[in-house]
Amino acid sequence: MDFNWTHQDSAYRQRIRDFLQSELPANWADIARFGPGSEEQTEFSLQFCPKLADAGLLIPHWPEQWGGAARPPWEHFILGEEMWRVGEFGSDEQKRQYIPEMASGKAIWCQGFSEPNAGSDLASLRTRAVREGDNYVINGQKIWTSYAALAGQCFLLAQTDGPDGGRSGIAIFLVPMDTPGIEVRAIPSLIGHGDIHEVFFTDVCVPASSRLGEEGEGWNIISYALANERVGIPRYEMGTAELDRMVAELKSRGSFSDSVVRARAAEAAAACEAARLLVYRVVDGRARNVPPANEANLARYAVVTAEHLVTDFGMDFLPDSFSERSHLSFLSHHERAIVTGIAAGAAEIQLNLVARRELDLPRGS
Amino acid sequence: MRLDYNEDQTTFLTFLGQMLASSEAEFRAAEDWGRYEYGAALDARLEENGFFDAAAEEELGTVAAAAMTYEVAQKPVAIECGASSLLRPFLGREAPRPLAVVLDDAPGAIRYLPVARTLISVSDKTVRVAELTEGSVSEVESLYAYPMGTVDRKALSWSELDVASDRVRVLWRVATAAELAGVLKGALESVLAYVRERQQFGRPLGSFQAVQHRLSINAIEIEASRMLLLKAAQSLSAEDAALALGYVQKIASRVGYDFHQFMGAMGLTLEHPLHRWTYRARLLRADQGGSSSASLAYASERWGAP
Ligand SMILES: Cc1cc2nc3c(=O)[nH]c(=O)nc-3n(C[C@H](O)[C@H](O)[C@H](O)COP(=O)(O)OP(=O)(O)OC[C@H]3O[C@@H](n4cnc5c(N)ncnc54)[C@H](O)[C@@H]3O)c2cc1C
Repeated sequence: MDFNWTHQDSAYRQRIRDFLQSELPANWADIARFGPGSEEQTEFSLQFCPKLADAGLLIPHWPEQWGGAARPPWEHFILGEEMWRVGEFGSDEQKRQYIPEMASGKAIWCQGFSEPNAGSDLASLRTRAVREGDNYVINGQKIWTSYAALAGQCFLLAQTDGPDGGRSGIAIFLVPMDTPGIEVRAIPSLIGHGDIHEVFFTDVCVPASSRLGEEGEGWNIISYALANERVGIPRYEMGTAELDRMVAELKSRGSFSDSVVRARAAEAAAACEAARLLVYRVVDGRARNVPPANEANLARYAVVTAEHLVTDFGMDFLPDSFSERSHLSFLSHHERAIVTGIAAGAAEIQLNLVARRELDLPRGS
Repeated sequence: MRLDYNEDQTTFLTFLGQMLASSEAEFRAAEDWGRYEYGAALDARLEENGFFDAAAEEELGTVAAAAMTYEVAQKPVAIECGASSLLRPFLGREAPRPLAVVLDDAPGAIRYLPVARTLISVSDKTVRVAELTEGSVSEVESLYAYPMGTVDRKALSWSELDVASDRVRVLWRVATAAELAGVLKGALESVLAYVRERQQFGRPLGSFQAVQHRLSINAIEIEASRMLLLKAAQSLSAEDAALALGYVQKIASRVGYDFHQFMGAMGLTLEHPLHRWTYRARLLRADQGGSSSASLAYASERWGAP
């Protein structure tokens, strides 16, 4: 067992820090305040991601063939990985079509999974894709789709076997968002403007070649994608940084000598470190090519707990900061802490999976 | 970063697992319904086979010693392991084991003292040891599932050791965290076995989601405790050690109540071993000032003195 970083890993981290130091704009904190789906962040991302790509920091973990550097998992796990699956399951034509844009950091994708009646029970989704000659005709509705208004492409789940096809009827389609028949409506929400949307599909016609994998393979593919998404963003790191900022603020007010405050800060920090190590275990497994078990479910739940403790700490001891412009990051952290427990599979779903797969507890009747 | 045990550690823990699988480690109700059983025979065999010396071996180290403490603590029988495997190799002299440890001259009964041959006393500046002579210790009847005892500390013949007391405190925090995490893990496994089998309403208790979720949260926190204490065992930093102990001490009480809840009345009997873990956990969660002390120590390490 070794909890230390290798020299290469440390050097890599330093390189990223240096890059961020020189490339992040001075008003980054203001931009970061707006959700990732906001105009502000999108405009920023579209400039920043190509810079990351140029520096070799966007997709270092992708195979070399597709513009990556085939770097080991420890180097890349900061990146959302589900799109990487295009490289795993896609046809060569699909790869040629989509990968260069993604690799250069110019692509915005959205994930068309959830529906009004298919949330946690995703397999019950009812959006239909009916084969007609060389095409599929898609009808249905998606909801909570992040960035849908900005996205060029949608990673869409639909039933090819009829409305009640269940898992075995699900296929994935890569659908350009400017295809006729797609309508996008933003949903006003706590987490910033333009983040989540409803997407309506009315007789949307796409070529059969836009199907990713075979009919009926969709469920397996997204199971991988979600396993990755569950730990994709190292939220405990944001939590840790936020906690340090809160402590700095309390110190500057002279109120960090109170034992109650100090102990609570330590408890929040402990939850962040617990989450960090459980997430590291997932990445460690990937680095050693051990097939994933339930580590990601444990990690996700620990991350949710850590997020809550950090945000509670701030809200309890710096209540005024949550409405001050100077500390907007605290506020957005709180909003994101709510999201963490829901998006990509609710916390309770993680607990169900831990109970059944990790603890070997029996199913209900 | 590599979070699996290395080859030597794996071999070491596999052999340890075989020894701990012996029937001597299993639960037997103690005579007169006593609250603990000391695993003397197993303890002796672990010692003969050099298990307590892992920390001094480069390829095994303090990580293996902490992992061993975690494993041993899962058993219903009590075996003194934390001090022997994590402190003893760093004392700079032979200390006959089992060991008992007292910090800052804390008053009251000391765990393992009735079976111990050496008492270690850690104070602000010094670390001292005294060999315990036959008959010097009085056993104290106690609810804690440990042999508990007192001794006239002034009457012992102490010798001061040439080790930094800060370092011993860090090691002792790691050892205590490992023991407590192991105790909770042992209890978890026994409760899981029970709720998988026990039927009510025509189905196993463990199939009820209210039961599943709480046990899942407990399992996640126990696994997090294990990772935190192993990290602390490797770094031996004051910060990591305080964090690991504070975390597991914080969860111990809630987790322990959940375990009793799901065992129903059976968990209150002396016929089922749950009480062994419960009462060891009660003592360990209050050790060295408990979770708040460890948390304050961590805060000072990380963010500076108040
Ligand atoms: C900010 C945000 C962004 C999102 N972005 C996307 C996106 O880009 N694309 C996309 O497809 N989806 C997206 N989602 C949707 C997300 O995947 C779903 O919200 C999530 O899967 C839960 O579904 P639901 O909201 O319908 O909740 P429901 O399924 O209605 O569940 C509500 C609550 O009930 C409880 N619950 C549900 N089932 C169980 C069970 N079996 N056992 C115990 N408790 C249960 C849980 O507490 C759950 O939170 C996003 C969600 C959020 C919040």
